[in-house]
Amino acid sequence: MSTNDPFTVLGVGEDAGDDEIKRRYLSLVRTFPPDREPERFQAYRAAYETLRDQRKRLEAKLLRPNDAALSRLKLRSLPDAKPVAARASKATVVALLVEGISRAPLR
Amino acid sequence: MSKRLQLNCAPEVPAASLANRATDALRLGRFKDAIELLKRLIKQDPSPEWRNALADAYAGRARALAAKGMFKEAEIVLGNTAATDGTVREPLLHLQCLIRQGQFQKAGAHAFLCVGTGKVSASEAPQLAELAAALSLAVPIPLEAPADQTSERAKWVEQALNARQALSAWIEGKSEEEIDPLLNRIPLRSPFKALRLILKSLITAPQNPERARQFLDGIPAESPFASFRLAVSAALPGEPAEILDSWSRSNKVQQSFIAEVSGLPSTAFQTLAQLGAAERNGPAALFDFVVKRGADLPPADAKSACLNLLPRSPDRQPQFEKAFGPLPEFEKDRVLALAAEARGDWSRADRYWRSAAATIESGQEKEAKLSAGVIYRHLALLAQENPDVQTREVSGNPAIYYLQRSRDADPDHLPAVLQLIGLYRREGREKAWHLLAEEAAGRFPEDGAILLEAVSSAAARKAYKKAAGFAHRLLILDPINQPARQRMIELQVSHTRKQMRAKRADLAWQELMQAAEWERPDAPNFLLRINQGLVGLQLDQGAEALSRLHDGVRLAGGGVPGWFRAALEEALMKGGKTGAALLREELTKAQETEPGKTGILSIASATSSQEARDDKKAVAGLVFGIRGWLLKGSSIAWSAAEFHPVGEMFRQAGAFDLLGDYAKLARRRAPEEPAWRFYQLVARTKDDPSRLSFSETEELFDMADEACERQDFHAANRIRRFVDDLGTAAAPRRGARRRIPHDEPGGDDPLMDLLALSLEDTPPGVVADMVADLGKDKAITAVSDRIRKSPLGQILPNAALRALAKELVDSVIGSGGGVYF
Repeated sequence: MSTNDPFTVLGVGEDAGDDEIKRRYLSLVRTFPPDREPERFQAYRAAYETLRDQRKRLEAKLLRPNDAALSRLKLRSLPDAKPVAARASKATVVALLVEGISRAPLR
Repeated sequence: MSKRLQLNCAPEVPAASLANRATDALRLGRFKDAIELLKRLIKQDPSPEWRNALADAYAGRARALAAKGMFKEAEIVLGNTAATDGTVREPLLHLQCLIRQGQFQKAGAHAFLCVGTGKVSASEAPQLAELAAALSLAVPIPLEAPADQTSERAKWVEQALNARQALSAWIEGKSEEEIDPLLNRIPLRSPFKALRLILKSLITAPQNPERARQFLDGIPAESPFASFRLAVSAALPGEPAEILDSWSRSNKVQQSFIAEVSGLPSTAFQTLAQLGAAERNGPAALFDFVVKRGADLPPADAKSACLNLLPRSPDRQPQFEKAFGPLPEFEKDRVLALAAEARGDWSRADRYWRSAAATIESGQEKEAKLSAGVIYRHLALLAQENPDVQTREVSGNPAIYYLQRSRDADPDHLPAVLQLIGLYRREGREKAWHLLAEEAAGRFPEDGAILLEAVSSAAARKAYKKAAGFAHRLLILDPINQPARQRMIELQVSHTRKQMRAKRADLAWQELMQAAEWERPDAPNFLLRINQGLVGLQLDQGAEALSRLHDGVRLAGGGVPGWFRAALEEALMKGGKTGAALLREELTKAQETEPGKTGILSIASATSSQEARDDKKAVAGLVFGIRGWLLKGSSIAWSAAEFHPVGEMFRQAGAFDLLGDYAKLARRRAPEEPAWRFYQLVARTKDDPSRLSFSETEELFDMADEACERQDFHAANRIRRFVDDLGTAAAPRRGARRRIPHDEPGGDDPLMDLLALSLEDTPPGVVADMVADLGKDKAITAVSDRIRKSPLGQILPNAALRALAKELVDSVIGSGGGVYF
């Protein structure tokens, strides 16, 4: 994941409590178990370790500028969309194909 | 033609010579030369062999140009190899040259010309077919089927038409039921497989995003469909962080695709694009964007986002306050502290953090206290990492000061307490260490790390009973903790020694019985068995005690190491005559065996315990007793790392003759190893740096610097500790021991050293008093009793002891009570 912000990685607000964070973490681990998704699991685990108790959350909030609010601003635009509900235009598909053809490595 | 070739290849050069040179140039990859030579050759001999060779040279030259990114030139060169049907020598390279020049239409036509014709090598055919497949979907090439409907080319054309139809159906918004049959007409082994998987993924995604993702896994990253695949992957539903992640990693075309398939309103797409652009321009630009668009954004998130951007652009504080109202003092300090940290201005960071903590620590709310604790711990960390961080409030280690403040604000933070205990101990603040360790054991009664610290603290102040109590609590928490069991036994054995020194063998036995409860049957403890044997001997337990003693010695390695352990235990508990005589006899017998590295290291390990270090006399006497055996060990090939503990033992025991012998022989074996020279100097000066000559001191400083350069900090510290003792080592020892100048004859006699050490507690004045009070005979007995308890007494038989005492008494009487001998 490109973001290191633990609140964004776990998808919780900065005011979330111990229980909410734990619930969210366990649900993510159930969906993406470590044997199937080791990289994702590591990212979730690291984020959970950063936020698991009140002192650690205070550390994350006070000592490091976090991007949680910025992520929320971005997500506010994105979740409105229904994923893969519509179709792309021919021009966009052609542009994607041309880009792929151009970037295909030389033999 | 190059000048060289013009000179070398005059028109009269025979064809055979030209052929040889051309073949050589081709073989060596000098394609430009090969082309010129072959052109001249073909003028004389236009056989197909040389025409083929010329085509090879053109292809080689084109490859070299393409590798340099000169695709246009490469394409022109390849054009020289064109056959009558328009195909060239390296069709895939030609295709790639056209693609890299952006000539997709021409590339499509060229690819269609080559695909399924057999003019491409088997290794290049799949790649060319897939490129042709992607091109056939991207550019409008007319796809005419060949007359032979069963040919490979005909099959490819059929698949291309099916793929075009399926893609159009998806773009036109046809349903899954309509698209699926079209996709099924594209075989999974065809070059259009990637399109089939992408479209399958797109129509499956609304119902089963995971399955949709699995379809995409079948498309390799080097495929010409990879960009399309990434766009589809980024558009699939996911966790918030993944959605953001995919979005930020996508390029403009891919983002357009995501926006279109997600039905993203154009305003949202625009906002996201602008936000992304502002983000790329840095935190200040992003801050300005969010403040400017504040009205369109949720106010709380906009404010929070800007507040978190402030440390990265602190000059925007006035704009922040104008947009969102005044910033609280705490936040102002926090922002400035984080900004100072980002600049590496540790002094300012320290000042602002302290100010921030002071603002909140007086508050009554739990979060305020915890926040102050967090800040003080951060300051402690900064202080440890950056020497610029200083506190005016206290002298000494600022990390300790900040951890104390953190503890005041948040006393329940266990890691800080552990860290503070560790710092107190390392800085030698004994009182604070013991106080905090004991208090922490009360505050965190169920924490193993704290209980271990409490054990160490109590043992260090020789409160063995208390230490055993903490260890007991630790074992209740963690009953299978073998190191804790071992520590528990060691502590109770330490307490046993204390009881024995107080002549309470009965209480010592009880202590050992309690310690035995911690011994696991599968892990017998040699220390416990040896002590049981020795105390048992004092309590007249006879054969049973002897059996325990032998058992313990066997467990301790047997032979000299085993009996040395037993003798050391006996010396530490100041045991009685019975045990001492027996041990002396056994140790003498054991010395018949040859020494080995393991045995000598085991002895060195035994002498490194705190209690052994505190009783130098006992160790010195015992080491002297096995001197002959140890001396044989000097011929063993020791490495410097192996030898350090042995060297420390010799220094501790004052066995400088042994140290010198070991170092001398080792230096012969490995003269380049500086450790041996160091030990030679330590031995020669008897661990007294004031005896070093100027050049030797300089040599040691150089040695320490070289050790630092090769990052051997242990060696550097060892040398510096020795040399740094220069200022403090000059105080003469009390009693009869006379400082013998190192160049004085007899100054290296270890027996004289041992005698001097043994007579430290029996100076001539005391002997004179004894003679006056008790008379000569009783004075001899009293003196021999005193020497028996000394290191010399451990090794001398009774008759020799008595003779020595008599000599001493006679010499005192003879000198009028002033000196020995």
